[in-house]
Amino acid sequence: MHILIVEDDEVARDSLARALREAGHTVDVASNGLDGLQMASSMGVDLAIVDRMLPKLDGLALVQSLRATGRKMPVLILSALGDVDDRITGLRAGGDDYLTKPYHMAELLARIEALSRRGDSGATETNTKLKLADLELDRMTRRVTRNGKKIELTAREFQLLEFMMRHSGQVVTRTMLLEGVWDYHFDPQTNVIDVHISRLRQAIDKDFDKPLLHTVRGAGYSLREDE
Amino acid sequence: MGPDQRFLGILDTSPFRIAIVYSIAFACGAAALLGAVDFAVSRVVDGSTDNLIEAEVQGLREQMLVLSRSDFIELVEQRSQDQDVRGAVYLMVDPQLRPVAGNVPAWPKDDASGSKWFMFKVSVPFGDETREHEMRAQRFPLPGNYRMLVGHDVQERQDVKSLMMRGLITAVLLTLLLGLGGGFWMGRRILAQAGAISAVATQIMRGDLSQRLPVRNADDEINTLAREINTMLDKIEQLTLGMRTVLDSAAHDLRTPLNRLQATAEGAMSTLALGSPERRVLERVTSEVDHMRSTLDALLRIALAETGTVAREPVDLSELVGSVVELYAPVSEERGIVLESSVAAGAHVQGNRQLLAQALANLIDNAIKFTPDGGRIRVALRGSASTPEVTVEDNGPGIPADKREIVLGRRVRLDEARNVPGSGLGLSLVAAVTKLHGARLVLDDAAPGLKVSMKF
Repeated sequence: MHILIVEDDEVARDSLARALREAGHTVDVASNGLDGLQMASSMGVDLAIVDRMLPKLDGLALVQSLRATGRKMPVLILSALGDVDDRITGLRAGGDDYLTKPYHMAELLARIEALSRRGDSGATETNTKLKLADLELDRMTRRVTRNGKKIELTAREFQLLEFMMRHSGQVVTRTMLLEGVWDYHFDPQTNVIDVHISRLRQAIDKDFDKPLLHTVRGAGYSLREDE
Repeated sequence: MGPDQRFLGILDTSPFRIAIVYSIAFACGAAALLGAVDFAVSRVVDGSTDNLIEAEVQGLREQMLVLSRSDFIELVEQRSQDQDVRGAVYLMVDPQLRPVAGNVPAWPKDDASGSKWFMFKVSVPFGDETREHEMRAQRFPLPGNYRMLVGHDVQERQDVKSLMMRGLITAVLLTLLLGLGGGFWMGRRILAQAGAISAVATQIMRGDLSQRLPVRNADDEINTLAREINTMLDKIEQLTLGMRTVLDSAAHDLRTPLNRLQATAEGAMSTLALGSPERRVLERVTSEVDHMRSTLDALLRIALAETGTVAREPVDLSELVGSVVELYAPVSEERGIVLESSVAAGAHVQGNRQLLAQALANLIDNAIKFTPDGGRIRVALRGSASTPEVTVEDNGPGIPADKREIVLGRRVRLDEARNVPGSGLGLSLVAAVTKLHGARLVLDDAAPGLKVSMKF
């Protein structure tokens, strides 16, 4: 994937570029907003990572200009600001995701993966049904089965599983789950998400040989068929 | 506001009250003035009438001494005819009170007082009808037990007096009416302006600092006051925006180096083998960065809530409380803690969903941290839809009454809590968020345990 990084902080830019290259991406960098806008508009960029505060052209203005000229590539906004409202203004300006500094590289990589594969998860999706291996989820009837056997889930467990299945094959972090399933943007301090996940794991994996829900050390979770 | 309440509202305005006081004062003044005029006029008119009568009586008494009875009778008749027009009355009666001469048909029924002066009524022709006229008269005896009265028609004076009385009452009523009307009109004007001002003030309190009070193109007190308040609001807005800018740059200046630290450590870690001593040192570094970040996040959110420059929207509090409880339910269950909740439906507040959720999460998180395994936590949403109250109650050790105030201050951790992880900013954030929403935070004894209430 061709990724453009627009970031004025050299240390952050370099380590980000290195990590993305190591993950197998083609990376271009820009250190100010104007260069960033030019590169994002002229080259075949698949995804852009844009710092919010940039010299010459502000990060938000950059994203707005991109959207105004019809560029639809996913944009992840990085911010060193306060938060709460800043996230909303960032997303309103046309950003697809928003990450506050300092961030873990694993968190950023997971989000980039999710952004780049939107609507392209490992699970096959017919109109209302999501399917991964022998696990099936029907959004209309709110019915979940594995190997034809019905699995009882609470409303929240159902939402959690739906989110995981939409991102199956990808790494999903705790923060992504808290944001995607609960729409909360704060750190709950206690390991609340882990406990929810372990309950879901009990429900879908306990009676079956092949586990589908995996823990990814130092990053989060992943729902996938183990090869 | 219904029409009745609106009307009552006008009655409560200060212009209306002032108008009432003034119109009553003016009415009293008018009454006093007219009373004084009436008194003065009466004195002058009565005085001159009495003098006339006195002089006439004196004259007749003198004539009585020199004239024979028949001549005297003739004199009285003559005077009666002469004076008829001018309203003077005469009557001479014999000892049986039969009229002998004069222009009064009959001797008035004697009043027992026997005083020199007295009043009586006489029917006087008035066009085709007769009218009762009031007379003021003096009487005196004549030789041979005859008697004489000399008086004057004072009906005209009475008419003037009653006319003045009517004028006085009309003036008083008119003053009151005009006063009330004027007060009502001014009250309505004030109420309209005050209503506009209070609507704007509410919006400002909700955090929209760009709002200004409506100012009319007039120099009255209210407009002057509104202008001054607007100037003050300009300053507050500048200060608040200044604070927000300081906050943003502080956030930027702290997050940027932390991010570099994190990136550098992680970059170095990726080249090191798992479990190597160097890697373990770097893992400690990143975990400290995490800790600093969560403290920084909390501090910034508290500061943000305190500046009040946070977007607000309608928040379904019932949904929010239910969802935060649900988020923590599995964790508390793992600890064998019963997390009960009773949530009244339909409670809404104007606020920031994220901050409210975090405040509630902090309260439940605290409760779980400080409640022993197998304990009990109760979360409740009560009260009316517009003034709800959220309470989180545990049966842990609680907070001593004398320390409840200080734990709300920044970074206070009681000695008893030293071994529990956390930044110590949880309750401060709850306090700031509660204040931001115009709510009250109350810490109480749950006997045993702590009961925290957010009263909206």
